[in-house]
Amino acid sequence: MSVTVTTPVRRQSGPRVDAGRPAAVRDSLLSRTAAMAVMAVATAYVLVPLWWLVVGASKDESQLIDGNPLWFSDFQLFTNLSDLFQYRDGLFLQWLLNSVAYTGGAALLGTLFAGMCGYALAVYRFPGREMLFNIVLGGVLVPATALALPLFLMFSQLHAANTFWSVFLPSIVNPFGVYLARVYASASVPSDLLEAARIDGAGEVRTFFTVSIRLMTPALITIFLFHFVAIWNNFLLPLIMLGDERLFPVTLGLYTWNSQVDQNPQLRGLVLIGALMSIVPVVLVFLSLQRFWRAGLGTGSLK
Amino acid sequence: MRSPTKRYTRAVMFFVLPFAVLFALFYLIPIGYAIVQSLFVVERTGTFGPAREVFGGLAQYQRVFSDGPFWTSVARVLLFGVVQVPVMLGLALLFALLLDSGLVKGRRFFRLAFFLPYAVPGVVAAIMWGYLYSPNLSPFTAVTANLDLLSADLVLWSMANVVTWVFVGYNMLILYSALLAIPQEIYEAAKLDGAGPIRTAISIKVPLILPALVLTTVFSIIGTLQLLAEPQVFRSFSSAVNSTYTPNLTVYSTSAIPNFSLAAAFSVVLALSIFVLSFAFLKTTQRRGIR
Amino acid sequence: MRSRLRASSIILISALAAAACSGTETDATSGSAKSACAPTQGKVELTFTSWIPEIQSVVEAWNAKNPNVQVKVQTGPAGNAGTYQNFSNQLKAGNAPDLGQVEYDTLPSFRVQDGLTDLGGCDIVMKAKDQFVEWTWNQVSFGEQGSAFGVPQDAGPMAMFYRKDLFEKNGIKVPTTWQEYADAAAKVKQTGGYITNFSQVDINQFAGMAWQAGGHWFANDGNAWSVTFTDPATTKVADYWQDLINRKLVSAVPPWTPEWNNAYNSDKAWTWVSAVWGANTIATGAPKTAGKWAVAPMPQWNAGEASAGNWGGSSTVVFKGSKHPYEAAQFALWLNTSEEALTLLNQKANLYPATKAGAQLPALKKGVEFYGGQPIYDVFAEASGQVKPDFVWGPTMTKTYTDASDGFKAAVSGKGTLGEALKSAQDSTIATLKSQSIPVKE
Repeated sequence: MSVTVTTPVRRQSGPRVDAGRPAAVRDSLLSRTAAMAVMAVATAYVLVPLWWLVVGASKDESQLIDGNPLWFSDFQLFTNLSDLFQYRDGLFLQWLLNSVAYTGGAALLGTLFAGMCGYALAVYRFPGREMLFNIVLGGVLVPATALALPLFLMFSQLHAANTFWSVFLPSIVNPFGVYLARVYASASVPSDLLEAARIDGAGEVRTFFTVSIRLMTPALITIFLFHFVAIWNNFLLPLIMLGDERLFPVTLGLYTWNSQVDQNPQLRGLVLIGALMSIVPVVLVFLSLQRFWRAGLGTGSLK
Repeated sequence: MRSPTKRYTRAVMFFVLPFAVLFALFYLIPIGYAIVQSLFVVERTGTFGPAREVFGGLAQYQRVFSDGPFWTSVARVLLFGVVQVPVMLGLALLFALLLDSGLVKGRRFFRLAFFLPYAVPGVVAAIMWGYLYSPNLSPFTAVTANLDLLSADLVLWSMANVVTWVFVGYNMLILYSALLAIPQEIYEAAKLDGAGPIRTAISIKVPLILPALVLTTVFSIIGTLQLLAEPQVFRSFSSAVNSTYTPNLTVYSTSAIPNFSLAAAFSVVLALSIFVLSFAFLKTTQRRGIR
Repeated sequence: MRSRLRASSIILISALAAAACSGTETDATSGSAKSACAPTQGKVELTFTSWIPEIQSVVEAWNAKNPNVQVKVQTGPAGNAGTYQNFSNQLKAGNAPDLGQVEYDTLPSFRVQDGLTDLGGCDIVMKAKDQFVEWTWNQVSFGEQGSAFGVPQDAGPMAMFYRKDLFEKNGIKVPTTWQEYADAAAKVKQTGGYITNFSQVDINQFAGMAWQAGGHWFANDGNAWSVTFTDPATTKVADYWQDLINRKLVSAVPPWTPEWNNAYNSDKAWTWVSAVWGANTIATGAPKTAGKWAVAPMPQWNAGEASAGNWGGSSTVVFKGSKHPYEAAQFALWLNTSEEALTLLNQKANLYPATKAGAQLPALKKGVEFYGGQPIYDVFAEASGQVKPDFVWGPTMTKTYTDASDGFKAAVSGKGTLGEALKSAQDSTIATLKSQSIPVKE
């Protein structure tokens, strides 16, 4: 356990290799400037389109075409927001909540299951282990377009299409998460520790939930985050499964509005502000998990 | 690694089953269904006679292999991948190494900033860049007025930029966390050898995170071959993007006919091609002793 | 362990087989016999899928008055953006809604899938036949006596939207023939604008113009389809626009983009030959030009003629598998013929009725401010009666549209011509029909 505590500490200690070498100071100033310049350019590349979205979302539709695309003209963000949330009795809010339910729940369960499976693959030797792992990895290769229709027909057989579960259940499966969990678990769960737990008389399952899961937490949070984003962004499965718009996740809702723009051009502005709003929850999740990320990114170093 | 013992069988079942059952239900069965479906053809009598699905063997696959536009689109995404994947991963690696080098202040800010585009759904990102590319609306009119980024020659690379924008930070984070996992002692040794930061980066850090690089490459290859959202959105911005622009778009437009069997055959062939490519890539890297 | 594995694989396989067979199950009820169309006793709940954004409020008016026939609305993306695909999937799975919105050009596709209930056995529907504009009824009956595979909902008679002020200011005559339209295009170009854009994606707009010229793309003699996108009338239209493209007299801005709106908003685009619902498109897309527009009949091929094309329009269909075709038909008729519903549909969704009486709705007699107070719907009412009644759509229009639009896009960017694009779309449409085992004459 103590090993993991020391790991993150290393990260706080500034430049590592060159520290304290006087000859390197001038070099270092030059390379620091160069490095910061590269990062600044890259940051601009990454952020300007998002800035454009924020500015665009704050404008009245007519200003979108005329004004400076990168600066506010008629600051209408709050008017637009209230339009968005009032349109058709708060449909958009319903979509946001649906997305949170689909995504939060399925990503939590999916992370737990992927973590357990990856852990077992890393820690135990059992018949069919490599085959299972290979099949799971193979699952990543199948295009989503191929899965969606068969899934719909299966759920229809069970009279469960167009329900919350028809989107929720398939979303839980996360083959990539199993891969990550296996890699992290074999790196971060020392076998001596498990041996010690066994000698203490703890069962395998109990050991996992009390000891191993804690060691794997940073990895699990990584898996959770990637899984969360993947489900949040998925719209093909809900598109095929759901007919009732009260069940839509926010991506499908926005897609629907975007396809109705021809008939109802007012929706264009709502799509823009809606797109901005649809990113916010993901950013919040990432920000709130930052602390865990920072604390644990180095866990793999036990290897 | 434990030796095989009956003692752990129940624990293994407990850990593996929840995932395995869901995986079988929501991956294996649908895949099996798609394969079965791809072996059927439709028969009917008269212009509005009801359709019957009958077993047709490999008839649909014959259509797939003689479908010129489909294979053109495969070649197109391969070209896309050969250029876009190295560029994106090269950038991701550069940024990860810079963050790790200690030369950069505000690592936390950069990590967050670079990750933000990944939070943007593919469809939304494509719509956004569609606006940014269009000649009159773009904030970068100096560029877009002289260079038609949506023309037949450039639109593939305009889409490559969208994909790069979304995923560069995501890949950077994977590589960065791999870098953080390198034990400190290795650097101490390098320091004693008098290695500078660039040499340390190239000859120590990069080789040590090769497994992570291989991983990100494989996933980028898979993502490239499955390109769907970006070309679909760009169809409304650019005349150059047609309904068979990428293999996955072909699957989509075939299932909209609706010709379920042919669409299933397309996706089976696509999945197999992806499998062959990723497998070939993994084998090549493994033969070189990277593991 | 092993026996358990075998047991579970058996379950998997049987589930798979069940799923694979689901497609054929629904065929048991198929056949061309008309449905019985008998009223159901007691309370009935119907499901209705449409992508009209405000349809809910229209349906609520029905539900309030018909406690025994409650309609539950589901909305989704526009037809070709996903809802049609969903209908197909649902028909395959046997859980389609009772009622659905289907555009005229997609009706044949669903009939080929054996997805539509023939309401020919419903007296109430057949009695309503004469209320509808002739060509719309032909679309839902497929020209067959005593059949109705849906109830016409709205129509898209075409006319020409034009910038009255710009034409006046520059002393250019408002075109009444296509020849004059081409002449005007040259003069507009000299002022720095474009008379219009040529849409690479709206194949149904092009079809509307071919329709006006007397083109016929599909025919069905009961034994086989014939497909001709290269008949003289269509070729005339294609050559006409190809000439304007060659002379760079029309712009190539992709329609339905902000860029395209911007062209109208900033006086760069002067006309749009479009359907009645386009009135709202311009008004919201080009708010700065309010009051400067007017509507005139579509340009004619020969001076003095009076014919119009149609672009768009939907029907309300009852899907196969609905247990309550009578109640569904009742609702569809109310939705598409009652003054109350038509008024609501027009207010909320800007639909133009497919009934003859619908043209007399008070809302459609008023002057429209955006068009300088002109009572523009009079022009469309007239056009509606001039649409030729015998145009037939094919059974795989989604694919035909994408094929043709792939070719049109190439033509607009200077590779190939519209004529070549139509020829190749014709070939690939024939190939698509064959791959579906739909008989076709070559």
